[in-house]
Amino acid sequence: MTDTMTSALPFNDAIPGAVLETTPNGLVVAAEKLPELARHLRDQQGYDYLAMVTSVDWPQYLEVVYYLCGVAQPKPGLVLKVRLSDKANPVVPSVIDIWPGADFQEREVYDMMGIRFEGHPNLRRILLWEGFAGWPLRKDYRESYYEEDTKPLKSRHPDGSHLWAEDRVPWKDNVTYPVGVDPDLWVSPQVQYRRIMGVDQGGNGSSLNTERVLVNMGPQHPSTHGVFRMVLAIEGENVVGLEPEMGYLHRCHEKIGERNTYLMNIPFTDRLDYISSMSNNLGYVLAVEKLMGLQVPERADYIRVIMAEFTRIVSHFIAVGFLFNDLGAYFTPALYGVRERELILDLFEAASGSRMMCNYMRFGGVSADLPEGWIKRARETVWDRLPRVLGDFETLLSGNEIFLARAKGVGHLSAQDAVAYSMAGPMLRASGVPYDLRKAAPYSIYDRFDFDVCSRPEGDVWARFRVRMDEIYQSLRILKQALDGIPEGPILAGKKQYQMRVPAGEAYSRIEGPKGELGFFVVSDGKANPYRYHVRAPTFINLTSLEKMCIGHKIADSVVILGAIDIVLGEVDR
Amino acid sequence: MQHVMFFLFAIITLGAAIMVVTTRNLLRSALWLILVFFGIAGIFVLLNAEFLAVVQILVYVGAIATLIIFAVMLTRQVMDPKQPRFNDQARVVAGFATLLFVVLAVIVTRVAWPVAIGAAPVDAIQQLGMDFVGPYAVPFEVASVLLVVAMIGAIIIAREHE
Amino acid sequence: MDYIRDFFINFAHSWTTWISGGLPGWAVTVVNFLLGGLILVMMPVIATLALTWMERKVIGRIQNRLGPNRVGPWGIFQAIADAVKMLIKEDIIPDRADRPVFNLAPILIFVGAAMLWAVIPFGRRMIGQDLNIGALYVVAIGSITTVAVLMAGWASNNKFALIGAFRVVAQLLSYEIPMVLSIGVVVLVVGSMRMGTIVESQWVPFCLVLPVAFITYVLAAIAETGRAPFDLLEADSEIVAGYFVEYSGLKFGWFYIAEYGNLMAVSAITTTLFLGGWRGPFAGAAPVLGPLYFIIKTVLVIFVLMWIRGTLPRFRIDQMLAFAWKVLVPAALVNLLWVAAALKLPVPQAVQYAVMLVGNLAILGVTLTLLGQSAKQHAKRHGLAGA
Repeated sequence: MTDTMTSALPFNDAIPGAVLETTPNGLVVAAEKLPELARHLRDQQGYDYLAMVTSVDWPQYLEVVYYLCGVAQPKPGLVLKVRLSDKANPVVPSVIDIWPGADFQEREVYDMMGIRFEGHPNLRRILLWEGFAGWPLRKDYRESYYEEDTKPLKSRHPDGSHLWAEDRVPWKDNVTYPVGVDPDLWVSPQVQYRRIMGVDQGGNGSSLNTERVLVNMGPQHPSTHGVFRMVLAIEGENVVGLEPEMGYLHRCHEKIGERNTYLMNIPFTDRLDYISSMSNNLGYVLAVEKLMGLQVPERADYIRVIMAEFTRIVSHFIAVGFLFNDLGAYFTPALYGVRERELILDLFEAASGSRMMCNYMRFGGVSADLPEGWIKRARETVWDRLPRVLGDFETLLSGNEIFLARAKGVGHLSAQDAVAYSMAGPMLRASGVPYDLRKAAPYSIYDRFDFDVCSRPEGDVWARFRVRMDEIYQSLRILKQALDGIPEGPILAGKKQYQMRVPAGEAYSRIEGPKGELGFFVVSDGKANPYRYHVRAPTFINLTSLEKMCIGHKIADSVVILGAIDIVLGEVDR
Repeated sequence: MQHVMFFLFAIITLGAAIMVVTTRNLLRSALWLILVFFGIAGIFVLLNAEFLAVVQILVYVGAIATLIIFAVMLTRQVMDPKQPRFNDQARVVAGFATLLFVVLAVIVTRVAWPVAIGAAPVDAIQQLGMDFVGPYAVPFEVASVLLVVAMIGAIIIAREHE
Repeated sequence: MDYIRDFFINFAHSWTTWISGGLPGWAVTVVNFLLGGLILVMMPVIATLALTWMERKVIGRIQNRLGPNRVGPWGIFQAIADAVKMLIKEDIIPDRADRPVFNLAPILIFVGAAMLWAVIPFGRRMIGQDLNIGALYVVAIGSITTVAVLMAGWASNNKFALIGAFRVVAQLLSYEIPMVLSIGVVVLVVGSMRMGTIVESQWVPFCLVLPVAFITYVLAAIAETGRAPFDLLEADSEIVAGYFVEYSGLKFGWFYIAEYGNLMAVSAITTTLFLGGWRGPFAGAAPVLGPLYFIIKTVLVIFVLMWIRGTLPRFRIDQMLAFAWKVLVPAALVNLLWVAAALKLPVPQAVQYAVMLVGNLAILGVTLTLLGQSAKQHAKRHGLAGA
């Protein structure tokens, strides 16, 4: 490699030797130069937002993938890759100082791939437990009853040897534990909470100070929206430290995704954020369509937008309703929200055959056309019913004094912090950053519709409530235009097929899901199933800022702040 | 009947009082203390002083004992039964307690207590109220001032230092 | 006819006469006391059975639901089914709980709930014991509940329970003061603490004469019973169930019964103090109507409390304490002074009442204006121009 070639690589004038190579799928960066380059990109080049961190296990090396983009001035994405050929001891410098939002994502990469991030203050497993041995997303990992690289389908085993295959595998239950861990004697290590308990600062000794108490909120707790655990350090009623613990609902979504064929993954995406399965479908099929280069018929695009916006309304109704539950309103607002959700689920059921696990989108279109009279029912919902119900919500909830007193000024997150913490969706917009992927990086046919990006400068729980309410109005606007403009025509490109050729390559598709940027990172090596399949779960990354928002508030507020993030554990834990 | 009740209450009160000082668990002693207060309230009822009995429960059980328990709960290290029972102030306190007991004993035995003749008035509260603002106005006001001072002092101690 | 007119009292007389025929005098007293005690103990239980059904129906309607409708007509046996379920549940005592205290707490809390009923006048002369300190007794019994809750919270050896117990102390002690002050106003106007006398002197319900005292009392009573929006001691979305989180089976049932018993008792006391108790049209001529009026008024108060529970979110602990100390206590104190002054006016009672009403309305207006202004300031502090 000559000098002239090196200087032709981007950003090498500023940080010499940082970028080693440009590939169609991103820039390959030298590991030791990564923090320097990242700082340069953030401060000088306007790539202020770290959208995603993930990793791929290639035969020769491990690859850490960073997806950057600009939020202050919208910029198209930039992919950085760090290749680590030492698979036994892969080490990358952490970018947590530059983007605090990398915190959980780096921990997840460590958990799944065993890549250590130097400089990460709390690098331990996040989705799996401490007594887990091995790095499950590495290609050489053999799980219990491992059969072969992909699912042993009948088509691949015409002799019938796919039956009872798990009894013949040499691995059997293959349960191993790390050195020094005995599962029967294992107790959860307490040292990990030294930070929030202030043990090392010696602040707990003086007898006149209020005692610092550790409280486990969850995994079984009415207000954690599932099996999520907040470890709170409290002094009296005040929260002084918080550590989220998750993974109780981890079900190896990404590992399963690598073993399924592309089509088989669609119903699995339903189970991510199970409130909004349509959006998950859309994000996934967009990623695979990007790889395949498929064109979607116009009618299918319209149907997809209609479904995605209905999903947004459903999700926001649930979020607002259950936020009030966390505030202590005895289920009434939640049930009002659920009632509207049921009516929209009726529409989903009519179109897809299922209420929650819709499994509706297909590569190149949707699985079935809208039934007769569907548009009419949808029009009644959009023009008549939902505006009326929204009016009820506004009169009953928006002006409630107790709600205002509880929500205003609680859980504040500044615009700067929100971007740094990789917040997405209503959380980001409620902090005064009007960033909406439907406008910033339009996908599907969102560029055809006229709508506003809802944003609030306050950055508190009230603003998050308000942004969600406003987004319902904007969704209704989009729905009105889409229901008016939906054309007749085919709903699927080509004919229905079980197996499709997906050319080798990488694609990252980002959509504005109801809860934030929902990304699907799919790597294909040309075989029938994805080589790597990663989900950028918005609520998982939104949780990164939970501690920052909660400190200094009361126990009761921490529950409300968590409720305002609107997490769904199916997506957080995957 | 009256005597039986009196001895019952007396036994409850004294027994509970002994438990207060002998129980190792601080919170349990606070709970025994509540029983002492109830016993005293019972004796007040026997003396036809319902008002005092209710005030005894309201103030001593409802406020003072509750605050003691609250303070105990907030300082959980103190509740460790392995902690030594005595600290370096034990002797001083024992001296003062003995002194107090002697003084009270002298007062109880020496003063000629006036015994009310006939039944207690039916509506004793009104009489009590009139006495507070009549003959006993000055002690009543002095007690009020003392309480106000104590309250202000407590607020100043509890205030956060800015 | 006369027998029917004063049915309950005449019935009691006949009963006593009847058993005196075969028993010695002391035995009659014992039997009657036992019966009275039984009625007292049964009251919270009956209240629980009736009110759980009512609450589920009322809140169901508020939430666009039907509420229980499977067990019996309109689901009225739902509460009984729940009670059976509770009875056959396993009784679990946490490993490191303080057993005697843990077991004593449910009993004590139930005793507190049952004892309140002794001084509630259901009708003319229909009262367990018309104590000359009835109103004060009501407040004093409340402190037993505090102790029981503290015992439960501490003995469970659970952090949620402990936080719940901490909140109980702060909340109950704070709200006892506006409660006593507003009861004091009524006592001042009546000149007696006897519950019977208080009802008899209400030719016009005191809620129309002393609205500030009425509202203060109701708010403080909601807080004392720990119901929404002041249900911080058992806030299910924050500290799961607070002080009784570790209780199961019948021990949990005692807490449950005490909660609803207290709810009913507090509503009954509100009725007695401010809504004219058993008074109503023709109640003087036919005292048998008295208990009916009393129960109707009580259920009305309970309905309002359920309505509040179904519609309002919860306060935070600091907001709630600030509300007690900065709003309720000053308003109640000013009200007390005003009423005391009005009572000294040398004018007929009706005019005195009018003066009190005017003062009350003024206090109410000033309080609400100040509250509105502070809300606006709060909004401004967070950079908002009102919502």
